[in-house]
Formats: sequence, C-alpha cells, structure tokens
Amino acid sequence: MRLPQFTYHSPDTLQGVLVLLDEYRDQAEVLAGGTDLLVRMKQRLALPEVLVSLKHLDTLSYIKEAPGMLCIGAKTPIIDVIRSDKVQQQAPALVQACERIGAVSIQHFRGTIGGNILQDNRCIHYNQSLLHRSGRQPCHKDGGKICYARDEADRCNSTCQSDGAAALTALDAHLVLNSIRGERREALDAFYTTDGIHPFDMQPDELLTQIDIPLVPGAVSAYERLSFRSAIDYPIVCAGVRLVPNPDDSGCIGSARIVVGAMGRSPLFLAQVSRSLAGVAFDDTAALEKAAKDAMNAAAAFAAHNAGAELAYRQAMVEKMVVRALTQAAARVFTRKAR
Amino acid sequence: MQTIDITLTINEQTHILAVKPNDTLLEVVRDYLDLTGSKEGCGEGVCGSCTVLLDGHPVRACLTLALEADGSAVTTVEGLADEDTLSPLQQSFIDHGAVQCGFCTPGMLMSATALLKEQPHPDRKAVRKALSGNICRCTGYAKIVDAVEHAARPASGCPDCHTKDTGGDHD
Repeated sequence: MRLPQFTYHSPDTLQGVLVLLDEYRDQAEVLAGGTDLLVRMKQRLALPEVLVSLKHLDTLSYIKEAPGMLCIGAKTPIIDVIRSDKVQQQAPALVQACERIGAVSIQHFRGTIGGNILQDNRCIHYNQSLLHRSGRQPCHKDGGKICYARDEADRCNSTCQSDGAAALTALDAHLVLNSIRGERREALDAFYTTDGIHPFDMQPDELLTQIDIPLVPGAVSAYERLSFRSAIDYPIVCAGVRLVPNPDDSGCIGSARIVVGAMGRSPLFLAQVSRSLAGVAFDDTAALEKAAKDAMNAAAAFAAHNAGAELAYRQAMVEKMVVRALTQAAARVFTRKAR
Repeated sequence: MQTIDITLTINEQTHILAVKPNDTLLEVVRDYLDLTGSKEGCGEGVCGSCTVLLDGHPVRACLTLALEADGSAVTTVEGLADEDTLSPLQQSFIDHGAVQCGFCTPGMLMSATALLKEQPHPDRKAVRKALSGNICRCTGYAKIVDAVEHAARPASGCPDCHTKDTGGDHD
C-alpha cells in the first residue's frame, strides 16, 4: 500500500517544529513513531500536506524525577517506559499498559508514549480501507452524517482505545503542550472534548512535549485490559486504577481513581464510584467487587458497537477488568508493607 | 515530486539513494535495492512479515519512512547468512521444519535475531512474547518457537536438534 504524497520536514529544534506547526496548522501532522498516523494515511483517513518529523528531537525523550512528580518526554519510546525502574516503582499501571501496546518486539521500538496518548479515536466501521468505505455512505468521522456504531446517532461514537491514556488518567497525569504562543499544562482527564471526530482539546499549532505524573506518597496503581489477541490488537475494554492509602495508617483507602478505557470517546474517570471507595479497607474484597459492579453500570451507557466484540460482553467485562485492577493494586499495598 | 538523498547502511553496505518522501523503508529495500526477502503482508503493521532491524532493533519496514531511517544501519533477512553459510538461527529453522510456505519466515527470523542478541538463551515464554507481533498461518508456531529456543542451545530431548551433531556415526 502506497502512502499519499506529502512534503516532509524534520527540524533540528523544538522551536523549528513549533514554527512549522504554526505555519501549516491543519495541513500538518506531527510524525513521531508513525505507527498510528502512517496506517491512517495508507487508508486515506488522514491526508496531511505536510509531515513534521520529530526525528531529530531526542531532547523530548527522557524520564526524570522532578519535585513531587515524574516527568516523561513525549517522544520517549514505549520500550524505555517499560524498562524504567522509576516508572516501575512509582507508576506500575503505566508499565503494565505500555507492555500491552502493539507487539513486543516491534511497535515498542517505534511507538512513543506521546503518540500513544494522541492516537486518533477508533471505530471498526471507520478504520477500514478506502475500498471498504467506498461501498457505503461516509460516517460522521469520515465527513458524512451516519453512525454505523449506534443507530440514529447524530454524532460520532468512536472510542479512545489508547492503553497509555487510560493508565495515565488513573494516575492523574498532566500534559505539557507547547506552541509558539507559549506553554500550557492541562490535566489529562480534562483534555478530552467528548467529540469523537476531534477528541482532543488541542490546537493545530500545539505539540505535546511532556507528561507529568504526580508522585503521591504510598499510592499504588494497576492496569488491566482485554483484547482479542494479546499482541497488536487494541483493547476492547480496559481499566486503570490508583489507590492512595489513608495517611493515618489504618489500612484503609484514603482516595481512589477508577478509570475505564476503550468504552467511550475518552477514558472514563468514574468520580462517584471512586469516591465510594474512600475509607474502605484494602482487603475488603466485597467492597472492591461492589465498586467494580458500580463502575460497570456507570460505564456501560457509553459503549457503542465499535470494537468488534458483542456489546453486552464488553459491558460485562468492565466489571472483571476493574475488579482485577483493584485487587492487584490493593495487593501491592501489602507487598510493599511486607518489604 | 521532491526527492531527497539519504544514506542507508544495508547489510553493511552503504547506499546513497534519492527517495521520495512517501517511500517506506520496505519499498526502498524491495523496489530500489531488489532485496525482496522482506515481505509486504498487511502493509498496516499487523502481520510482521516486513520486520527488519533498524540500528539493531526490530521495526516494521512498512510503517517506517525511508527518510526516517536516514543515516541508520538496516539489517534485512539477506544479511543474516555469511555468504553460503546460514546463521545458526536459519539452520535451526530448517532443522525444525519451522518453514512451510515461507512468507512469514523473514519477519520471524528478524524478530528472533533481535531477541537472541539480547537474550542468547531465551526460555519458551520469552520466545513466544518476542514473536507475538509476527503472524504465521501455516505452522501453528510450535516448530518456530522450537527453532528459536534451540538455535543457540540444542535440546537433548528434541528429535530435530542436530542429528548432525552425531554426524560422525553416520559415515
């Protein structure tokens, strides 16, 4: 499959990239690993006139600790995140998520953490070849007025199937975005527009440069996902959780963040269910199971027929993924204490 | 359309090539250099048959722009053998019957080569994980995993492992 034609730029500096993005705006796409963008270009879902490559911006590839947070450069390859002791200790949910992205031997070396967060929303009816799509009316995301994922829907029901985004939302991560207008910082859970066509609250001249993960004392996290095949496939349901112990050392959860991914247009942070876990003992299995059931009920309404699996199955699996993630995270509190 | 000169070291030979921005690394090795060992299967990064090593790491050549590989060292399946002597891994694939139609084999060999470079004696789980990005529709994978696992260290209980080791007895 040939790629469409485009003009290629590979600036040596961050400023050079930002100037080009400002100049070309909607006509330009940023190329990092290319594992999402180039596939969409081959399928003619994205037809940028200009590609701005981050090839020379190795300055955006790092993992470092700053006061109170862990900072990851947006161009850091997935494999570096997986192999980082710092991330493994401070944010194991992110390592678990990154291990599941693409195929171990291959996409980990090309794909980047920033690219994983910014991968376009997907839908089994939209992410198809030009030939497949030419046989029917275009859907909302393809410029038409039909949704094949949900009957009578007046807007796009694509899904955010990023593993990294679900884990990072659970970890309460923030994004640093740069443009020639300056720098801004935004919480990941506020970064989504709930519009399936343009899922990110991001201007065309902006570049994601850094991901900040707050370091909360005693916090534990875990990530679980379900997909058809363990490698290459995108998740059809996933869950990320972070549990912070009560500071009084009572063996209870002080605060929780439960996030369900691959169900809605963005990772779903379930605030009410998360709050219900405050004060619950880490080994209170019944309470964790109840929270998982509540999470399923809260997330089920967001799902549409867009990932290939039967809808009722995906909805039922939300509970399983959440309970597994919660149990794993809770177990990490005890292994830490035992050490 | 604009062409750009790039330098690629492919199988230890340096080439200076004028490529178009939308040429992938796979198109360059197959169409410009006639190294047709690397295959295009899906063209979308799913099947792994186009896997090559870029600076020692396995990548999908179909999803790597030639321009992005400028200045890098590329190893394709043609670079594994030393003239007429197959690499131990290639020989192991033959000995174990790990090749049937052969379409996935170049990608399998490249992913496995990268694994063996990092872990000379991988266990079965590590092999399966390393090859999880490569699809084979013939063998059912068991023979391929055997071939990789036994490439560096023939297993005593494996009937396919080097009948040649006892070659002296056959004379």
